[in-house]
Amino acid sequence: MSVLDGWWDDYFWGSVVVLQVFLVALVMMVLLGLIGSAAKLSNNRVAQKIANAYTIIFRGTPEILVLLLFYFGSGITLTYFVKLFDPTVKFVDIPPFWAGSIAIALIVGSYATETFRGAFLGVDPAQIEAARALGISNFKTFIYVRIPEMWRLALPPFGNHMLSLIKDTAIISIIGLNETVYVAEQATGTTAEPFIMFMVVGCIYLAFSSVITLTVMVLEKYANRHLRSA
Amino acid sequence: MSFDFMLIFNSIPRILTGIGTTFQLLFLSAFCALILAVILLLMRISGKWYLVIPNMIYVYVFRGTPILVQIFIIYHGFPQFEFIRNSIFWPIFREPFGCAVVALALNDSAYVSEILRGGVLGVSKELHEAGAALGMKAHQRFIHITAPIGIRLVIPAYSNDFISMCKATALASTITLLDMMGVARTIVAETFAPYEIFISVAIIYLILTWVYQKCFGLLEKRMSRHVKQ
Repeated sequence: MSVLDGWWDDYFWGSVVVLQVFLVALVMMVLLGLIGSAAKLSNNRVAQKIANAYTIIFRGTPEILVLLLFYFGSGITLTYFVKLFDPTVKFVDIPPFWAGSIAIALIVGSYATETFRGAFLGVDPAQIEAARALGISNFKTFIYVRIPEMWRLALPPFGNHMLSLIKDTAIISIIGLNETVYVAEQATGTTAEPFIMFMVVGCIYLAFSSVITLTVMVLEKYANRHLRSA
Repeated sequence: MSFDFMLIFNSIPRILTGIGTTFQLLFLSAFCALILAVILLLMRISGKWYLVIPNMIYVYVFRGTPILVQIFIIYHGFPQFEFIRNSIFWPIFREPFGCAVVALALNDSAYVSEILRGGVLGVSKELHEAGAALGMKAHQRFIHITAPIGIRLVIPAYSNDFISMCKATALASTITLLDMMGVARTIVAETFAPYEIFISVAIIYLILTWVYQKCFGLLEKRMSRHVKQ
């Protein structure tokens, strides 16, 4: 594989960027999912409507469209506001890293909203009533009763969401984030060996998704440890 | 920063010129994926290790890598090889459209075969035993017992997959194809009005998704018309 000599470090740093995007987006996606599902399950009509619109829009439009709209749109909006204060500024934009992370977190967060909603509904109401009977506050019930119970139910689909999150990071190369696909494109420009270059990217993603699959399997075992027969 | 409604009205006809390509991509690759998926399914449920293991590797690889990378490997990578350029498949791999259809079909077939497998596993064993007791052979049982019941079971999951397929066709714009997304990106490059153009494309995609969902809902109703509601 002499063609790849000198590109290994680029691929390594590209993988680091993929991992960073994944972790940042994962945190945002979990938060969005929790907020979205809380809004859907609340009694507030407005919150329900907003959460419904959010899931319909982000589950029905292509990822690349959301990404480009968010990146270029935020650029225009930011430039407009910065120009109000300092007219000499030509153009401002969100760094591709943050634009990409937020965009894919918004997309996968809409799926997570539905998953978490289903999982919250799957928690036995008797548990909540028991907590209330013990005089535990609503907030504490949420943290100590609802979340640990729903987590077990949400894990299998949540593992799939993490897989689509890591695979969506590939799309961010379109707005110029220097992750692995971008590295492969540059390497192709110099070496004219596109097949090998993109195959390496494929292997990197395969490794990432294998790690995620294994982690979810371990987590599932841990979450269901009380159900194991003695 | 202003929202230019005239621009939307002027560019929607142009965006819609790409809808044909989007439909062709979607239906052609979904059809090929379905045929491939049935073959993969038969391999998986055959119970022979030399058929099951290749199937598992195939599903693992195609579900574990991003579709964008698969499209790039086929579009950028394949023309590099002499034997592909000399083969009868070259007319397919020469065009970006052919590459996109092949990549989407290969990727989707991995997902669809797993969905179909879920449907096959959902058919209860007693029905099989009943069929065997009536003297039906394995292929007869598959065609007359498993398939009709399994199809009904897989429609909800398949409709979700079809919709994500519809969204995946937008990635074909990265290999110079002028589908709706490709046309929209061209217009944005000319006018630099991302809000107006991309939001109108998003609305078109939302309408398409809604229509597909309704169609699959009707199909599901039709397939389960014998089930009491």
